[in-house]
Amino acid sequence: MFNRFQFLFQTNISRESQMRAAINQKLIEMGERERLKELLRAKLIECGWRDQLKALCKEVIKEKGIENVTVEDLVAGVTPKGRALVPDSVKKELLQRIRAFLAQHST
Amino acid sequence: MKMEDMSLSGLDNTKLEALAHDVYSDLVEDACLGLCFEVHRAVKQGYFFLDETDQESMKDFEIVDQPGVDIFGQVYNQWKNKECVCPNCSRSIAASRFAPHLEKCLGMGRNSSRIANRRIASSNNTSKSESDQEDNDDINDNDWSYGSEKKAKKRKSEKNPNSPRRSKSLKHKNGELSSNVNPDLYKYNYSSGISYETLGPEDLRSILTTQCGVVSEHTKKMCTRSQRCPQHTDEQRRAVRVFLLGPSASMLPDSETMLENDGYDAPDGQLIMSRLQWDGSSDISPSDSASSKASTNNSESKRPKKKKNPSTLTLTTTGGGGERDKGQERERVVGSGSGSSSSQNALGLSSRKKRPKLPVPPGPSIYDDLN
Repeated sequence: MFNRFQFLFQTNISRESQMRAAINQKLIEMGERERLKELLRAKLIECGWRDQLKALCKEVIKEKGIENVTVEDLVAGVTPKGRALVPDSVKKELLQRIRAFLAQHST
Repeated sequence: MKMEDMSLSGLDNTKLEALAHDVYSDLVEDACLGLCFEVHRAVKQGYFFLDETDQESMKDFEIVDQPGVDIFGQVYNQWKNKECVCPNCSRSIAASRFAPHLEKCLGMGRNSSRIANRRIASSNNTSKSESDQEDNDDINDNDWSYGSEKKAKKRKSEKNPNSPRRSKSLKHKNGELSSNVNPDLYKYNYSSGISYETLGPEDLRSILTTQCGVVSEHTKKMCTRSQRCPQHTDEQRRAVRVFLLGPSASMLPDSETMLENDGYDAPDGQLIMSRLQWDGSSDISPSDSASSKASTNNSESKRPKKKKNPSTLTLTTTGGGGERDKGQERERVVGSGSGSSSSQNALGLSSRKKRPKLPVPPGPSIYDDLN
């Protein structure tokens, strides 16, 4: 019985991850991921998110010094705030598009 | 348990939602990473901080966000309300209209000569349709000195029918104004010449007294240039007048022919002549002193112009007396010519061209005598 649960659990997980992989692959193959990426980029520039993050980067640089700053420093310093700073409207629109894609192609 | 039921389509909504969120997070993280790489490269290459200077300069050029002001801090219609005083006519003009006004006022712009010519032509041809003799003088006077609004406005509305733009509406307006005038003007603007066939004797006379009028052989149109136009000789002009108006009415401003035509008016003419000599010498219209200090030609041209108008008006009202007035007008011109400049024929011709404008004070008194 234990084995059976384990077996079910594992198959569920593997099914799920299988499905995820399949969907991601579809996203890429159909070019939808690129389109979504471009859409997100345009929206973020429009709403000023990019400039906000650049200002954050400036602060990190001034803190660490121009000579010594690395990509990791910047990423670690900026990405969490970046995720939080995305406006709700942009987030909603993107989620909507992704859901639509999933609904269309998850069979 | 039914593991076979587990298929892709069987995933419930929460899982789908989680999946969507994951995809979204991946995308946002890609965007952040992209930005970090860009910034890092800019820093290492040295162009990241190029748009910054010292703090003071940064404060100077900061973006302004106040109402009524643009982002540089400038007010939009700051110069709209300001008024300037024209040095020429001493009127107060709105700032945005100052340059075009000065152009017209000094008579030096591209269009100012054209407009002046058009005004002269319109005042010649539409003076018959104007109200009274007194008003005529007022109109002419105000026209030049930009004095009263109502007459000036009437002038402006008369000016419009002349422009080629309104040539279409001119055709429809035939009933309103004197019908001879409108097609005349239309032809004037449109084809740079006038056909003498369609004009009545009064129109012909009015045209011939101000314009060269020589009929071109190939176009059959009258020359619209001045009485001194270099393309035609005086002989040609005389011939045209004989041809169009009859031999008794050849009316070039020679002293002999004019006095011949108007024998029974000699006593009146002399009276007027003497009066007008006084006028010619001492008379300066109020506008002359104000306008065009550079050229006295303008003043001369305006003065004779006023003289013409009242006479052409009486032309229509009294048929028989029309001729008489014309003759007296000529005498008057000679009087003014000799009074103001010299008594040469050429100048007589030029004064004929510039005849239509007269200063106000002597005007009514002369016509009181006539009437």
